[in-house]
Amino acid sequence: MTVTGYLADFSLPELFQLLEQGSKTGLLTICTLNDKTSINHHNHHIWFSQGQIVAAGNSLDQQGLMRLIAQRGWMGDRAVSRLAQTCQIHTPLGLCLKNQGVLTAEQLKLLFYTQVMRQVCALFALPDGWFQFDPKAPLPAAEMTGLIATATDVTLAGLRALKDWAALDEKLPDPSSALISVVESKPSLRLNPNEWQVWEFTNGTMAIKDIAQQLNLTVAKAQQIAFRLIVTGLAEEMPIMAAPTTSAFDLDDSTALEASIPGATTGAAPVSHSFLQNLVGFLKGKV
Amino acid sequence: MEIMRLVVTGPVGAGKSTFIRSVSEIEVVDTDRRATDDTLLLKKRTTVAFDFGRLQFGPDMALHLYGTPGQSRFDFMWDILIQKAHAYILLVAAHRPHEFREARRILTFMKQRSPVPMIIGLTHTDCPGAWDAANIALALGYPHPARRPPVVAINANETASVAQAVIALVQYTWAGSLTPTT
Repeated sequence: MTVTGYLADFSLPELFQLLEQGSKTGLLTICTLNDKTSINHHNHHIWFSQGQIVAAGNSLDQQGLMRLIAQRGWMGDRAVSRLAQTCQIHTPLGLCLKNQGVLTAEQLKLLFYTQVMRQVCALFALPDGWFQFDPKAPLPAAEMTGLIATATDVTLAGLRALKDWAALDEKLPDPSSALISVVESKPSLRLNPNEWQVWEFTNGTMAIKDIAQQLNLTVAKAQQIAFRLIVTGLAEEMPIMAAPTTSAFDLDDSTALEASIPGATTGAAPVSHSFLQNLVGFLKGKV
Repeated sequence: MEIMRLVVTGPVGAGKSTFIRSVSEIEVVDTDRRATDDTLLLKKRTTVAFDFGRLQFGPDMALHLYGTPGQSRFDFMWDILIQKAHAYILLVAAHRPHEFREARRILTFMKQRSPVPMIIGLTHTDCPGAWDAANIALALGYPHPARRPPVVAINANETASVAQAVIALVQYTWAGSLTPTT
């Protein structure tokens, strides 16, 4: 099913995490909304295969990779176009040109870096944008180098390089929350020293602001690192619920509130089969 | 009196109070008050301590429903409620993707505090821009369909729909982790 929304609501790192974890194949289109009165909106396209990024570009004309090759001066537009016609259908253009001895492996890597890493990483700074993921869009062989990057790697690289976090400010974990690990062993991702240090505190007990103090980081920096650990699937934000202050509310104190839960002084006692059967039978009468 | 306690949780405005009102046989113990913090921006009134509803279906059998508070100064009640619960339902508004992270945060807290069974209830599934169940489950951190709790669509205003959701929760609880006495 098509997924649509706004980056201000569901950020690009969250979206990448969803597409990777869901092993999605299709086309993600992002329409920038920097100036809502302008008609010059820019579209960005990112193609996914099984949750991994295989190509990116600013148009759907299937000419983006050819233009990049021409811009590098490695071949003229026409020459690439002619060679592309000899490629087998569904074979990535980059791979086809490499097999023909026209491009080297290093040149392919450079193309992929320019096309995907540089273009996509720049999108993390977008303050807002409308997005749509179309799972029915075909993969564009003419835009593909044959190389792939995991959405996690792109997210990590993009967020590490991000200078202005204003676009993601509201998505950062609360400084009073803790982090809890969601992987069983040490992360296989290549974390940087600060990320490793924060990772050591993913036990659900220490607030991010305290982790910052412990590691001599600013709270904002610790939040950004925590966000990276969250959107790369290594940790989750864990709220630390504060004890009440007596002046905080006008009802009775917490003990009185707890006591007001009928029959609940000793936790959840098991209920009987007949209870459950009767309850379901009773509820079915209301359906 | 044999009592089963269900907690209804979710982000502010997901439909928790409405859900309880729709199925409770008593006037819900309404702790809704005028909101006094940031919640005011979202809802003029919200649940400050907790909502309580009851469904008595036999002389000595009752279902109690508790809604988690919406204001942060009553956060401590979350812990109290989940510790006493037999199961819980997480309500998520399907058309508000900006609340999915908050729902995920709540889920992490609940899972850490209690191993009791839970299901996910999607409200507003018929609204424009609503996400489908599979993508919301992904956004909540369930990448494997076989290893996720049941996800049900709910109209919190309709008794039948809420009753159906409670049946789903009870049946899941029954089939799963809860060990009923004989």
